[in-house]
Amino acid sequence: MIDAPGPWGTGPFTLVEGHSSIDTVMAIQRVRPEFVATNLITGEDRTPRVVLEANREHNSGRTARLERVVFLNDLSPAEALDAVCDREGEIDIVTEVSPADAGRVQDSEHARLVTIDANRMLTGVFNAYESNDAPLHDVRMREALNWAVDRHRIAEEAFGGYAVPLAALTPTWCNGAKADLEPRRRDPARAKELAEAAGWPQGRALRIAGDGSLEGIARMIAADVEDALGIASEIIVVPPEQMVAGARALVEKKLVLPWDVLLNPWFDLSSDNPAAFVHREFFGHDGGFRAGPVDPEFDRIFGELARTIDADRSRALAEEIDRYVYEQSKALFLCAPNALYAVNRHVEFKAYRATFELADTEVSSNHWSRREG
Amino acid sequence: MGTAVTEAEPTERDGEPVGTINVFDPHPLNWLFITWNTMEEPIRTDHDGYITMALAESATWRDETSLEVKVRPGVRFQDGAPCTAHSIKNDFDEVQTWAAPHPPGTHLNFHPDSQCVVEDDLTCVFRFPEPDGLILGKFRGFHIASPSFWQTHGFGYKKTGSGEGHW
Repeated sequence: MIDAPGPWGTGPFTLVEGHSSIDTVMAIQRVRPEFVATNLITGEDRTPRVVLEANREHNSGRTARLERVVFLNDLSPAEALDAVCDREGEIDIVTEVSPADAGRVQDSEHARLVTIDANRMLTGVFNAYESNDAPLHDVRMREALNWAVDRHRIAEEAFGGYAVPLAALTPTWCNGAKADLEPRRRDPARAKELAEAAGWPQGRALRIAGDGSLEGIARMIAADVEDALGIASEIIVVPPEQMVAGARALVEKKLVLPWDVLLNPWFDLSSDNPAAFVHREFFGHDGGFRAGPVDPEFDRIFGELARTIDADRSRALAEEIDRYVYEQSKALFLCAPNALYAVNRHVEFKAYRATFELADTEVSSNHWSRREG
Repeated sequence: MGTAVTEAEPTERDGEPVGTINVFDPHPLNWLFITWNTMEEPIRTDHDGYITMALAESATWRDETSLEVKVRPGVRFQDGAPCTAHSIKNDFDEVQTWAAPHPPGTHLNFHPDSQCVVEDDLTCVFRFPEPDGLILGKFRGFHIASPSFWQTHGFGYKKTGSGEGHW
């Protein structure tokens, strides 16, 4: 990340004012036989304005079409949405539009809605350690929960249809997706049969944790589980000031985790190999989100994938990994939320699945910046 | 749901960048988006998220443990300094200094015993102790910065006194 403006790169824009940075804390996963650590974001450090200007010397087809991009960081999301929907000349693109606001954007005079099936996954991490008295180390119990929960309803109702139900962790548009792997359709009877075989402790509540933004989804899951399995749930809303400590405990794997299912949004940096940045992070021996014992079979398949430079073999192994985690119900697989943008009608913006890129964004001659210029 | 619900009005372009837009982006990865829009990596991702060449013109396996990277000719940093295979090696040596340079996870780390060897101004070869089938994806987090960046700020060097977690 870049802490100060300057002509530092070769990209389509130059950072000429301000900065957008983060603060992090290291989470140590292992010290022997080799040191392994990752970093957790503890806070943002953004200036009120971050300004990019076109790099006119850039020499690829990715040359900027806009002269200037100004990121405004001193607004609330509501103020920004008002500005893009109701007025011109203040805000041209708002990212991370809530599905609840999609209709307002579509109906607005000045903005249009741009959506994309993005490389984002909402997943429930199972606490599958043997020490957990909830039997999530048992594949039957994990599968029972996957049949009990209606991921299609979550995609439709919690995300207003702006989400794609997932079979496992690989979205259908990514390399390594198996066409025959369908997202499980809720089946309470099958769920109950599996849960009874696994044996849930009498009176033990299912502890579902997540940040405040996910409480509604946690309650939908809890209702499905209660209905299908007769198991009550305890919803643990993690307050913002405890998020870093909770994440660090998960990554470092030394403290007892206080939950059974952690709702954990994640993302991918590309569509080429989700197993590398997603599956490994959730289930690999060095995965930050692994909440259970090391899985030798997962590590065997992933290890072969990591050492394979043949594209066809790599794809086959990526498919095998997604099938394996599906069959083992390694997590509570939910959905891939869309990315939603409110975009001024004089701005041509094409969304990207794995980034927020502006090099090919342009404005028409009717745009305020050209009328005024 | 899919891409682009409604169409924007047509735009025309005469080759020169024109216009200003104001953006509100509360996404927690905004720091990374700013980096990606202003710096380049050997590869980037297209609209569909698939890897395509960026600062690299090509990346070709010579054998199972040697990856040849050809740098796009004629590239200059925004301060005018040339960007060559030497720049790639310099940034590789910088990132290899740190145990956990990247904020999100360990996946982007290069093997600690990897090497980058410059063969000429536009060619460098990455040599790995074992085949690395995930290397192109790792390149997405391998931001190439100018000498002046390293001399003044670096990734976290000035702000935090360390590159750990600040790449």
